[in-house]
Amino acid sequence: MPIRAPVGDTYRKKSPFTGLLDHMKKVKEGISLLQEGILNYIDGDYESFHKITEKVDKIEHEADLIKGNIRAHLPSSVLMSVDKRYFLWVLREEDAILDHAENLARMLDMRQTKIPIRLKEDFKVHMGLVAETVKEMEKAVKNIKDLIETVFSGKEREETKTYIKNIHKKEWEADQKRYEITEKIYKMEKSLSPMDEYHLLKMVDWIDDIADHAENVADWLRAIIAK
Amino acid sequence: MFTSCVLTIILIAIAIFAALYMAWSIGANDVANSMATAVGAKAISLRQAIIIASILNVCGAVLVGKHVTSTIQGNIVETSLLTDHSQILGFLSALLAAGIFVTIATWKELPVSTTHGVIGGVIGFGLIEGGIELVKWNSVGKVAASWVLSPVAGAVIAFIMFKIIAYCVFGTKNPVKNAKKIGPVFIVLTIFIIFISIFSKTKAGEMLNYTWEEYILLSFFISFMVGVFGFLVLKKITGKGYDLVERLFRRLQVMTSCYVAFSHGANDVANAIAPASVVLMLSWGKIDTVYLLLLGGVGIAIGITTWGYKVIRTVGEKITVLTNTRGFSIDFGAATVVLFASKLGLPISTSHTVVGAVIGVGLARGLEAVDLSVIKKIIYSWTLTLPATIFLAIVIYKGLQIIF
Repeated sequence: MPIRAPVGDTYRKKSPFTGLLDHMKKVKEGISLLQEGILNYIDGDYESFHKITEKVDKIEHEADLIKGNIRAHLPSSVLMSVDKRYFLWVLREEDAILDHAENLARMLDMRQTKIPIRLKEDFKVHMGLVAETVKEMEKAVKNIKDLIETVFSGKEREETKTYIKNIHKKEWEADQKRYEITEKIYKMEKSLSPMDEYHLLKMVDWIDDIADHAENVADWLRAIIAK
Repeated sequence: MFTSCVLTIILIAIAIFAALYMAWSIGANDVANSMATAVGAKAISLRQAIIIASILNVCGAVLVGKHVTSTIQGNIVETSLLTDHSQILGFLSALLAAGIFVTIATWKELPVSTTHGVIGGVIGFGLIEGGIELVKWNSVGKVAASWVLSPVAGAVIAFIMFKIIAYCVFGTKNPVKNAKKIGPVFIVLTIFIIFISIFSKTKAGEMLNYTWEEYILLSFFISFMVGVFGFLVLKKITGKGYDLVERLFRRLQVMTSCYVAFSHGANDVANAIAPASVVLMLSWGKIDTVYLLLLGGVGIAIGITTWGYKVIRTVGEKITVLTNTRGFSIDFGAATVVLFASKLGLPISTSHTVVGAVIGVGLARGLEAVDLSVIKKIIYSWTLTLPATIFLAIVIYKGLQIIF
């Protein structure tokens, strides 16, 4: 049907923010699976960890598709309610969370390292803190729709700032735990095989990377709401 | 004698047919373009949009449509230097040229404006009949400037309205309470503008024969009463959060969509009626412009009901992301500019003004994403329309001269 109504051409079929939230759902799904998997790994259940690795792999790929789709539909002619570069950085850092989750899962899956009993609890707590950091990030990202509705002012702006503060707090706690674990590993170095020690050190680093990227998401969100 | 009489009747028939076709085309596309915002934001249903647009376009056409009509008739080409016969053929060819061009553009889905088409057509016959001196370049320049200025003005007003909402409603601790406070103010403002436009320098104003102070007082009184009524209506709506703010503005947007339709009738009816009325008056004798405006208004209404609803539906579905606070700002910005232009006798493009208003809200960070590539398309259509319709009008004029 031929129509001559330019106002329709000014709108996008799908909002990039809806895409961002879809992508975030994948992150949420991926990280909660990963957490479950890591707990199994720590307890020595390598078989179920392998299955979860495959699932995380799949989720990471799906999230990549969403990310690509959002980027492809943001030509330079599109004017967004937030700085487009900041938006793309949020997306990129959000995606990096899953990239690191996938990396962690695949690397751990390659070598079944036995976690020393003395470290088991610490590793579990660390993973928990990292997952919580991601959860706080999810809250902050979810609030973006309300932020847009209120034109980045008023109550919603304050709410987002609170979430951002929580992310930093959780990330800091995760960092502290990471140093604690690293120190413990060094202290145990005489009783560990070099390969075990290497892998344990890597494991704690890889887990912590996830929280770092959640924090990066928070930083870009902070830039978005800056006046 | 007999043959000239038959020829005159044929000319009149062509003029009326062409005018109705133009009116139909305006109703089918241009009105639909401006009503789609309200339907997309779910302020009104498709059926309501058709009813509102039909009735208020006729009202706007009849009450305020005169100014733009006289601009097209007398301010583009120096008609006093032309014979009646060449004027009749000239305006008829302008109308036909615009009609044909708009049809082709619609088929190719180009965002051209009927207004620009008609002005191009009139310039075309002026050029071929009297040369460059016959065209009033000064006022053509003004009209052309208004084509660029109207989307910009639409953007500025929509931007300001949205910023006011952002600051006075969303930026506060209690958005709902403030929305209920500011809503009636917007109502008073809108109704005041509409009534001032109805009273000043129009037939309705002449009939009342008041001084302009009295008109201002009367308009203010009417708008104040409507504002009080609006206050009472908005007060009753209960609910929570931003959703309620949007629901309050949904009511306000019912009003602004009426405003859009009214302004639209006031400006665009001239595109169909101005050339035809010259033909009718010179070949038939004195006719009251009001009847012709009414005819144009009805033609637009027919366009809306027969084809426009499809366009409204298609475009409305595309813009469902639009919320009512945004839709309100867009409607208010576009309608205010169109109505002011109508009062100034400036034939502008309503479609382009609406696009300007959307971009204005986008610049105020009100829309998640706005595609600005439409600006490029509109600029292309500006540069395309005038040469094309000037050329078409010349060809048609030469053809008509051979026949009549």
